[in-house]
Amino acid sequence: MVLDDLGSSLRGSLDQLRGKSRLDEEDVEDIVKEIQRSLLQADVSVDLVMDLSEDIRQRALDEEPPGGTSARDHVLRIVYEELVDLVGESTDLPLEDQTIMLAGLQGSGKTTTAAKMAWWFSKKGLRPGVIQTDTFRPGAYDQAKQMAERAEVDFYGEPDNDNPVEIAEHGMEELSDVDVLIVDTAGRHALEETLIDELEQIESVVEPDRNLLVLDAAIGQGAKEQADRFDGAVGIDGVAITKLDGTAKGGGALAAVDRTDSSIAFLGTGEEVQDIERFEPDGFISRLLGM
Amino acid sequence: KITEAELEEPLEQLEFALLEGDVEMSVARDIVEQLREELVGTARAQVKTGEIVVEEAIGNALLDVIDVGGMDFDEEIAAREKPVTIIFTGVNGVGKTTTIAKLGKYLDDRGYDVVLANGDTYRAGANEQLQEHADNLGLKLISHEQGGDPAAVIYDAVEYAEANEVDVVLGDTAGRLHTADDLMAQLEKIDRVVGPDMTIFADEAVAGQDATHRAKQFNDAAEIDGVVLTKADADSQGGAAISIAEVTGKPILFLGTGQGYDDLEKFDPEVIVERLTE
Ligand SMILES: Nc1nc2c(ncn2[C@@H]2O[C@H](COP(=O)(O)OP(=O)(O)OP(=O)(O)O)[C@@H](O)[C@H]2O)c(=O)[nH]1
Ligand SMILES: Nc1nc2c(ncn2[C@@H]2O[C@H](COP(=O)(O)OP(=O)(O)OP(=O)(O)O)[C@@H](O)[C@H]2O)c(=O)[nH]1
Ligand SMILES: [K+]
Ligand SMILES: [Mg+2]
Ligand SMILES: [Mg+2]
Repeated sequence: MVLDDLGSSLRGSLDQLRGKSRLDEEDVEDIVKEIQRSLLQADVSVDLVMDLSEDIRQRALDEEPPGGTSARDHVLRIVYEELVDLVGESTDLPLEDQTIMLAGLQGSGKTTTAAKMAWWFSKKGLRPGVIQTDTFRPGAYDQAKQMAERAEVDFYGEPDNDNPVEIAEHGMEELSDVDVLIVDTAGRHALEETLIDELEQIESVVEPDRNLLVLDAAIGQGAKEQADRFDGAVGIDGVAITKLDGTAKGGGALAAVDRTDSSIAFLGTGEEVQDIERFEPDGFISRLLGM
Repeated sequence: KITEAELEEPLEQLEFALLEGDVEMSVARDIVEQLREELVGTARAQVKTGEIVVEEAIGNALLDVIDVGGMDFDEEIAAREKPVTIIFTGVNGVGKTTTIAKLGKYLDDRGYDVVLANGDTYRAGANEQLQEHADNLGLKLISHEQGGDPAAVIYDAVEYAEANEVDVVLGDTAGRLHTADDLMAQLEKIDRVVGPDMTIFADEAVAGQDATHRAKQFNDAAEIDGVVLTKADADSQGGAAISIAEVTGKPILFLGTGQGYDDLEKFDPEVIVERLTE
């Protein structure tokens, strides 16, 4: 089943339940501790871990395992259900004309993800285009342009204009005949008021159908506050987690989807345009729990 | 005397506080264990109230981990035979290139001649990015075409520095994840071929539990002499600093505090400890 690939200590404490049909409080306590450990090591936010483990504890004690189910499978089922409940299904992305704006912390992977998403939509038979509105980071125009070339998609940017809102406006006109417009933005964080204002202005020109928050899989407890701020500014409809080809588990995304009442759309697994996958809850949850 | 039972709750709270500050779990546990040993049986009279003892002990335990001593960057640069070659390593997007630009200015401001070398021959826009920084700062950049050998670029820059009496070579490398074996091997090669005077590992203050993994892997591939912790302005508590210092035993030299060229501060261990304990 989906949770087979568990961390060894968690598996160990679950294995102790083998053969048991009922759980006592001590069993539940051990398992809850191990689950907390796994989730905290995956960068799930501390208060979410506490809420989740309280729910798991209650249900494991209160609910009678359905006939024929071992205590072990019963606990696994509860853990899985609670996590699925939180992360949900992949963000709905209809294959039709749309505009998607990307936002997030400096260096989280927005520019790379913009090209990857464009590549992904083109494989689905749509015609995508990327607009680069980052006028701040040196080389941002060249980076985005080269990535769009690698993805073989349309591109718009203005290397000598330092007004991102204007570029967004021009880009919308110039790329008006593409199906899926992907708008890249400069990196910014929750405390940069003027940059958050700038994002709101770009958003009001672009009028995206969806805003995605691009989150590094290795982000720690700060994910929550960043997600709050971006959601408050433009509204977050989905999360793209990048750099999952490393050892980071991406648990920061849990706080992000929880705070923004959204879901996960894409996973990034490398630096090339093809290194993108649609989010799928089973694999992600196994990764969170299994180290 | 303080008893084990009395400490249970405050120590558990401390562990969660450290985790909330992004200190890595095993590092947080070590710190808590060390405190437990230190405090159990301590005479109360000696140590004011229990709460104050614990607070002080936490601060001291954190300082113990993070204050590894080691080099003073400015003194090291002044003392070394020129040119001094410094290579920057780290995972993708943490701020290596920006830190090089900031340090280029920092050294230029202190009267050193600096040349930049772009060992990132991989990422789209990498040459243009470092070139624009070099132009903004009036610094010379040595770069090759995309796809070239990174070791060769830095090697060229060292030769240039020797021929032109340049004091410091700042060599960039492409971001890579510690799980990419071929790229980590390439980093070892750069280390071997160039034989840098210093290797500086960059990581970001917003990083979570993964910080220990990558610091360790990078240190194994090309031994680190010092660390720069970037994005300290992004309001995470920066517990990654504790994790990295603990696994590498290497000093944190600078904090990156913004995207501007002057947003580079000398690292003060007490600042991170305050952020974590406040
Ligand atoms: N290994 C790996 N690297 C990635 C992934 N996504 C992005 N990167 C790398 O991460 C670094 C930062 O990516 P960018 O796309 O420039 O990030 P950004 O958010 O646009 O950065 P700013 O515009 O400066 O805020 C680059 O080295 C990318 O190649 C991924 O899924 N895996
Ligand atoms: N807020 C903030 N942003 C920073 C800081 N340092 C770097 N950045 C930003 O982080 C992003 C990535 O920085 P780079 O210098 O390109 O990172 P890198 O490690 O060279 O990235 P790769 O070469 O792609 O691996 C850029 O948008 C920088 O402006 C800092 O101290 N604070
Ligand atoms: K939302
Ligand atoms: Mg970008
Ligand atoms: Mg770089």
